[in-house]
Amino acid sequence: MRINSIRQQQNFKGGAADTALNFISKHQVGIAGLAGASVVAQKIVMSSAEAVVSPAIDIGIGEVITKATNEKDNRTRQSSKTQAIRTHAQAVGGTITGVAIRALCIFASTLLMSKLGEKAGSKIADIINPEKLSSAQNLYKYKENAEAWGKSIGGASAILVMMFTNFLLDIPLVNYINKKITNLVSKNTSNDKEVKNA
Amino acid sequence: MPDFSKILESCNPSKNAGKALLVLNAAGMIFAAISNTCAAAVDKNTSKEDKKFLVPAGAVTGVANIGIYYLMTSKIIKFLQRAAEKIEIKDENVLKFIKKKIDKKSKGLFKKDDKYIQSMKDTFFEGGKLTDAAIFEGKNLTDAARLDYKNSLKAGTGVLGAFIGAVVGCAVLTPIIRDVSAYFVQKHREKENPSLEEKPYMPYFDPSHLKPGQLIRANKKPLTMKNYMAFTNSNNLKV
Repeated sequence: MRINSIRQQQNFKGGAADTALNFISKHQVGIAGLAGASVVAQKIVMSSAEAVVSPAIDIGIGEVITKATNEKDNRTRQSSKTQAIRTHAQAVGGTITGVAIRALCIFASTLLMSKLGEKAGSKIADIINPEKLSSAQNLYKYKENAEAWGKSIGGASAILVMMFTNFLLDIPLVNYINKKITNLVSKNTSNDKEVKNA
Repeated sequence: MPDFSKILESCNPSKNAGKALLVLNAAGMIFAAISNTCAAAVDKNTSKEDKKFLVPAGAVTGVANIGIYYLMTSKIIKFLQRAAEKIEIKDENVLKFIKKKIDKKSKGLFKKDDKYIQSMKDTFFEGGKLTDAAIFEGKNLTDAARLDYKNSLKAGTGVLGAFIGAVVGCAVLTPIIRDVSAYFVQKHREKENPSLEEKPYMPYFDPSHLKPGQLIRANKKPLTMKNYMAFTNSNNLKV
C-alpha cells in the first residue's frame, strides 16, 4: 500500500496535474478558507449553477434533437422550453427550502453538540469529544470540534427532514414558481406577437 | 446494527470535508430520486400504462445520475487533494490564512466574542499575541497553526472538488441524461402505442407536467393526414 501511494505521488505529473498544482498554489489561502464549508454552501453553489446552466442545456438539447431528427411539428423544441422553465423553478424553489432547512438543522445540531460535548460520563461525549477538550481551557478547539460535528449531524438530519418537506413544501413552491414564470413568458410572447402584427 | 459513529465520522467535515459533502449530497440525491419515483407511482393524473414506464425509467435515471456524480466527484476530490499534498507550506501563507480566520470572527455579523478570539490567538501564536514581527515574518506561529493550515488546504481542495463535481454532475450531466433518455424512451413508447404521440418528450419524469394546462401542445396539432382523419372522425365535429 505504502509503495503504491509513493508511486502514485511520483506519477502525479502531466498537463492536468500541473494545471491543478499551479492553480492551487496560486490561490492556496482562498482554497484553505473553503475548508469550513457546509452543505448549505454546496447547495447554494449547485443550485445557482442549476438555475442558470440547466435551462440553457434543456433548450439546447431540444434544438439539437429537433434539427437532428428533422422534426416538423417542433414538439421537442416546445417541450424543451417547458422543461427549461420547470428546471429553473425547481432550482429556485429547491434552493429556498433546501438552504433554510439545512441551515436550521446545522444551527440546532451545533448548539446541541456544544452542550453535549462536555457532559461528563455520557457516551455521546465520548464519541464527539474523544480528546476531552473543554470550553474553559481551549474554547477555540472545543467550538471547532462542536461545529464540525454540528455540520455533520445537521447535514445528515436535514436529509431526513427533507424526505417530508420535498412533498410538503418543495412541490407546491416549485409549482407556484413554475406557474408564475410560465404566465410571464407566455404574456411576453403574446405581447411580442401583437407588436409584430401591428 | 450499523455503527452510526463511523457513518457520522465519514460525514464529519473536519476529517475530510470534500468526502463529507459528497456523501451528504449523494444521500440527498438518493432520497430525492426515491421521492420523485414514488410521486410518479402514486400520481392520480398518470395512467397505469404510463406508470409502467415512468417508475422504472425514473429509478434507472436516478441511479445513473447518482452513480456518475459519485464516481466523478470522488475522482476529482482525490486528484485535487493529491495536488494539494505537493504544495509547500510557507509561513507567509499560514499567517495570511490565520489572520483572515481571526478577522472573520472579529468582524462577523454576530457579536464579537473576545474570549474566543483570544483562544484562537493562544492556539496559533506563541505567547498568544499577534505582534508586528509575526505580522511581517510569522516568527511566533505555533506548529498548531501550520498543521491547521495544512489540514485546511487539504480540506479546502476537497470542498473545491465537491463543488466542481456538484456543478458538473447536477447542473450539466443531469439535464443531458434526463432529456436525451426522455426523448428516446418516448420515441420507443410511441412505436408501440401511437396514441401517446401527443405527450411532450422532455418533462417525461415529472408527473406534475402531465396535469391539464401544462401540456403546451394540447391545442396545437400539426396538420397531418392522421390528425385530419382523427378530426373528421371526432364527435365534436358538427355539420
